[in-house]
Amino acid sequence: MAMTEQGAPTGRPNRPRVFWTMRRRQLLWVWGFLAVPVLFYGVIRFYPTGHAFWLSLTDWDLMSEPSFIGLDNYTRLFADPQFGRVFRNTFAYLIMGTPISLVLSFIIAYALDRVRFGHTFLRALYFLPFITTASAMAWVWRWFYQPAPIGVINDFLSGFGIPQLAFLNSTTWALPSIMVTAIWAGLGFQIIIFMAGLRAIPNTYYEAARIDGLGEWAILRRITLPLLKPTTVFLVVFSSIGFLRIFDQVYNMTTNDPGGPLGSTKPLVLMIYQTAFSSYEMGYAAAQTVVLFTILLVVSLLQLWILRERT
Amino acid sequence: MATIALRNLVKSYGKTDVIHGINLDIADGEFVVFVGPSGCGKSTTLRMIAGLEEISGGEILIGNEVVNELDPKRRNIAMVFQNYAIYPHMTVRQNIAFGLYTSPLSREEKDARVTEAATMLGLTALLDRRPAALSGGQRQRVAIGRAMVRDPAAFLFDEPLSNLDAQLRAQMRIEIKRLHQRLGTTIVYVTHDQVEAMTMADRIVVMRDGHILQSGTPTEIYEAPVNVFTAQFIGSPSMNLLPAAEVGGRIVAQSGGPLLVGLRPHDLVAGEGEGAFSISGEVTAVEPLGPETLVHFQTEGRTVIATAPARMVPAIGSTIQASAAAGALYLFDAKTEQAMGRR
Ligand SMILES: Nc1ncnc2c1ncn2[C@@H]1O[C@H](COP(=O)(O)OP(=O)(O)OP(=O)(O)O)[C@@H](O)[C@H]1O
Ligand SMILES: [Mg+2]
Repeated sequence: MAMTEQGAPTGRPNRPRVFWTMRRRQLLWVWGFLAVPVLFYGVIRFYPTGHAFWLSLTDWDLMSEPSFIGLDNYTRLFADPQFGRVFRNTFAYLIMGTPISLVLSFIIAYALDRVRFGHTFLRALYFLPFITTASAMAWVWRWFYQPAPIGVINDFLSGFGIPQLAFLNSTTWALPSIMVTAIWAGLGFQIIIFMAGLRAIPNTYYEAARIDGLGEWAILRRITLPLLKPTTVFLVVFSSIGFLRIFDQVYNMTTNDPGGPLGSTKPLVLMIYQTAFSSYEMGYAAAQTVVLFTILLVVSLLQLWILRERT
Repeated sequence: MATIALRNLVKSYGKTDVIHGINLDIADGEFVVFVGPSGCGKSTTLRMIAGLEEISGGEILIGNEVVNELDPKRRNIAMVFQNYAIYPHMTVRQNIAFGLYTSPLSREEKDARVTEAATMLGLTALLDRRPAALSGGQRQRVAIGRAMVRDPAAFLFDEPLSNLDAQLRAQMRIEIKRLHQRLGTTIVYVTHDQVEAMTMADRIVVMRDGHILQSGTPTEIYEAPVNVFTAQFIGSPSMNLLPAAEVGGRIVAQSGGPLLVGLRPHDLVAGEGEGAFSISGEVTAVEPLGPETLVHFQTEGRTVIATAPARMVPAIGSTIQASAAAGALYLFDAKTEQAMGRR
C-alpha cells in the first residue's frame, strides 16, 4: 500500500482520502444486518446453553442458591439404572425411526413425482400431519390403538381372527407404536424436501441414461440416488435430531404414566422434563441436557462425516 | 448400422403442430445434417428418432422396423445432447464408460475403448476429474466420448460443437468425420452452422417451421437451391437478392420487377468488367479478409456484398461497379420465392 502511495504523485493525480471507503461501507451494512441475529443468538441461545453447562455442575433445586458440586451430577447419572434404559429407548427411536421414515418418504416422493394427476392435492394430504398439533395427533392415534370395539386397528385385526394387541399397554409394543405416530408426523416434511430434490435433477440426465440403455432400477441407483445425496444428507441429520429429541408423541400418548408402561417408552428429553419439573432437581436435569447435547453433536457430526462428498 | 426413414412424421404439443408431416430416407452409413433456423424443429425430430419424444403421427423406421412404440434403449441409438447431459457425480472416465453400461464386453475391452476414445478426444489428462472442473468444450467432448464408445445403429448429434472455440470446432469436425469414415455408422447431425453442414454432410436437410424445404448433397443445395430461403441459408456471406426483370434477353436490376436475382458475393466481382449482370452503387463498408475484400454497397435501396481483390480497398462513399459472369445468376419468382433456374 505504502509503495503505491509514494509512486502515486508521479503517475496519476492524488485522490482525496475518503473515510467511508467502499469496504468500510460494506462492513457497516454487513454488521448492521448481522447485529440482530448475533444478539438474538447470544441472548436466547448461547447464554442459556452456557448457563446450563454451569448449572450441571451445581445442585440447584429452584429454592436455594446453586452451589458448586463438581461432577457429582454426572457420576450420579451414569450410575442411574433409569438412564441406561432411557438411553436405549432414545437410540431405539433413532435407529428405527430415521431409516424407516426416510425410506418411506423417499418412496412416496418418488411415486408422487411421477403422478401428473391430482399432484398438488396428494402432496397437501401428506403434508397435513406435519402442521397438525402433536397432542391432537397423539390422541387420535391413542384411540386407534384401543382394544377391539373402539380401536380401529384391533377391530380390523379381529376381523381376520388375529388376537388383540395391547399396543400402548405392552412393554414390547408401546415404543414401536409411538414410533409409528412419530414417523407419520414427520413424513410430510420429508416428502416435500425429497420432492424438491427430485425436481432439481435435470431431465436430460434421465434421457441420456435411457438412451444408454439403463432400466428404471439402474437409473434410480446410478443417477437419481447419487444426485439426491445432498438432500438425503440433510434429511438424515434433520430426522436424526428429531428422533433423538422425541418428546411430544411420547408424552401425549402415555399421559397416565409418562414414558410408561414401566419406562419402556421413555426418551431422554422426557427424563429431563421429569427431573426438572417433577423432582425440581435443576442441576441434575442440566447435566442430562448436557449429555443430550453431546449425543446430538456427536451423532450429527458422525453422519456428516460418513456421508461427506468424497472426491 | 441401419437405415432410418421418416414417414409423414408429425409432432404436436397440444394443438400446435411443430413438425408438419416430414418424409426422409436416410441410407445406411449416410451422414445427414439437419440445418435450419432456431425453433424449426431440428431437435424435436432428433428426439423423436431417439425415442425421447412421443410421435404424434406418421412412422419412424430404423432398419426397416417401425420403432414408434419402442423404448429408447431398444432402438440402440447413441445421442449427444445440446446441453451435454454428462453426470456431475461421475468422473470423466466413468461418464465415458457409462455409454457401455449395458454392453456385454469384458472389463478390459471396456477400459480399452474408454482409453481410445479419451485419446482421440484429447481427454486423457482429465480422465479422473469431475465435470464441474471442466470447461464447456471439454464437457462436450466427454459427451461425444460417451456416445463414441458404443456400437450403435446410428449416432444422433444435437449441435455438439456449439460451445467450442473456432479452432477446436474445426478439429472436432474432422474427428467426427473421421469417426464416421472409420465406423461407417449412420449419423444424423443437427447444427445451426452452415459451414459445419457443408463440410461434414453427405446430405443436407434444410428445415423451416417444421417442414423440410430441401434435401440434397452440399453441392446440390449450394448450386441449385429450391427457394430463396435455402439459397440465403447456405453460403457465407449469404446470397445477395435484388428485384430484377428480364429486358431484351438480359437480366437487369429493377425495383418492383417480377423476378429476384440472387448473386453469391463470391460471384459478384467489384471493378470494371463485362458480365451477364452488372450494378453500381455507393460503398458503405469494406471488410478486408486478407486474400480478398468484401465490399458492401447500396443499390436499389438494398445493401449488396461484392468481393474485390485483396489490394483493392475502395473508399467509403465512392461509387463502385460490380458484375457477375454468366451462369452465376440465381433467378427466383418474386412472389412465390421459388427457384426459376440459373442464368
Ligand atoms: N414442450 C414443448 N411444448 C410446446 N412447444 C414446444 C415444446 N418443445 C419444443 N417446442 C416448440 O417446438 C419447436 C421446435 O423446437 P426444437 O427444440 O426442435 O427447435 P430447434 O430447431 O432444435 O431449435 P434450436 O436450433 O434453437 O435448438 C419450437 O418452436 C418450440 O417452441
Ligand atoms: Mg435444438
